[in-house]
Amino acid sequence: MNWQYIAINAVTLACMYGTLAIGLSLTWSSVGLVNMAYGFTFALSGYGAWLAAEYVSENAFVVIGAGVLVGALGGLLVCALAFIPIHDKPNFALRGMIATLAISLVGNQALLWYFGPRAKTLPRLFGTSSVDMFGIRITADKLGASASAIVLLTLVLLWMRSSRRGLEIRAMMMNPHAASIVGIGVRQTGLFVMALTGGLAGLASVLLAQTYYVAPFSGITPMIKGLSIALVGGLGSVTGAVIGAMLLGVNEALTASLLGGQYVLITQFLLIIVILLVRPRGIAGILDKAREA
Amino acid sequence: MTPVLHVRGLSAGWGPMRVVHDLDLTVRAGERVGLVGLNGHGKSSLFLAIAGLTTWQRGSIELNGIEVGRNRSQGPGRYTHLVVRKGLALIPQGDEIFNGLTVEEHLDSGAFTPRAWRDRGPRKKKILAIFPPLEKLMRVPVGRLSGGERRMVSIGRGLMSDASLFLVDEPSLGLAPKIGKSVMDALMAVELGSSAMVIAEQNVGLVEGRVDRIIGMHSGKLKGEASVLSPSLPPTPLPSPSLGVSL
Repeated sequence: MNWQYIAINAVTLACMYGTLAIGLSLTWSSVGLVNMAYGFTFALSGYGAWLAAEYVSENAFVVIGAGVLVGALGGLLVCALAFIPIHDKPNFALRGMIATLAISLVGNQALLWYFGPRAKTLPRLFGTSSVDMFGIRITADKLGASASAIVLLTLVLLWMRSSRRGLEIRAMMMNPHAASIVGIGVRQTGLFVMALTGGLAGLASVLLAQTYYVAPFSGITPMIKGLSIALVGGLGSVTGAVIGAMLLGVNEALTASLLGGQYVLITQFLLIIVILLVRPRGIAGILDKAREA
Repeated sequence: MTPVLHVRGLSAGWGPMRVVHDLDLTVRAGERVGLVGLNGHGKSSLFLAIAGLTTWQRGSIELNGIEVGRNRSQGPGRYTHLVVRKGLALIPQGDEIFNGLTVEEHLDSGAFTPRAWRDRGPRKKKILAIFPPLEKLMRVPVGRLSGGERRMVSIGRGLMSDASLFLVDEPSLGLAPKIGKSVMDALMAVELGSSAMVIAEQNVGLVEGRVDRIIGMHSGKLKGEASVLSPSLPPTPLPSPSLGVSL
């Protein structure tokens, strides 16, 4: 029983899933779209990073940058196909979900057709060394992945807090109707949100590929986990998503080493069901200080 | 001089319902107009139609001589931000605030045009001079404020903009009479300059004698108008609704 190992794994997984959950949560609460194509964006940006590593350079910045860029482009593609044409039509929430699901299916098959079923591995961006920290041995890939996820997420959240565009996105998350009254263009902001969340998917994809690999369907499980974390956290709440990601990260690491990897999804969904039974609006239901209108 | 708002033949509604019936209205620069009428007679729908927020509409709406109305059968809100950028500030009924944003962020969000955004510091000072109670609340999320404070925030957000036309929908709604009156006082104190303001209100006493003219609204049509000095209201329905145009 190695508690340190479990703790490190929990933190790494929490960073990855938190990134995905925040992306999904932002999309849902600002543009009202359950983005089922997030797994496709994830896989696509993994391939983007792989191509960059293969043909351009294996430099960490180049690979991560390529992943984030391709992810943002994927997000824009989803926005152009599933948000812009139908966002003000009746029943958008359901239609949008079906449209993104369709993009996900077509996109994943296209990746399979073009790149083949064999998984690709990304270069070890952070080297193979390991550091001793507080008496715990941390391998460079886990440290690097967690650190870059935390740094980039913090940057994104600070940008959301301080910039004008961030203010617009937050306003749209809270009241889309009022947002249009103060002159915020729904479609324009939607493009920004989708590019931003796509970029987050790209980041998570490259970082997760440090321990796993890139494959046509590699995005499906992370997307499901991200979505369930977003639900547990309370859709639309970034803090809730972070707490949810930590809870599920700890759960996954614990289950994997105590019971075995095949039980991870079982305990994960049990935990999610229990949390949602107690707190139907997710963890954010506790955090929410402002009352509803 | 082109009027700030020139509406001709505007009809609008919600789904199968037609609420605004073939309506004409002109508002000139510097005017403060009271729009009175009973609940459910289309005052709010008229404002929402000007902002492009009803489910359908047809007819012409000119804002400072620029056509912003269009025939539309779906997509409420699709063009609203474009109308707002042409100089409309709608202060909606029921405030439509952003629960989690602080008062300061709210006021910032009202300053949409690039010029208003650069100039937002002095503008916020001006709003605080109109609504001094907001000074202490600048960092508080709006979801925690009282109804009167929310109304101040909502009106302040509208006044932050560069708008040439302010549409204020029921500023006294749901407030204690005393607070409602002070909110109305604040609206009267706003210097209009070359812009104009239309205030929809059910309580005729609140606007009577304090606006430049009062227009009645009944069953989706404008029903004549009373000048400030006329003491008797509701306005008598005049034979031709076109008198509401006042050209």
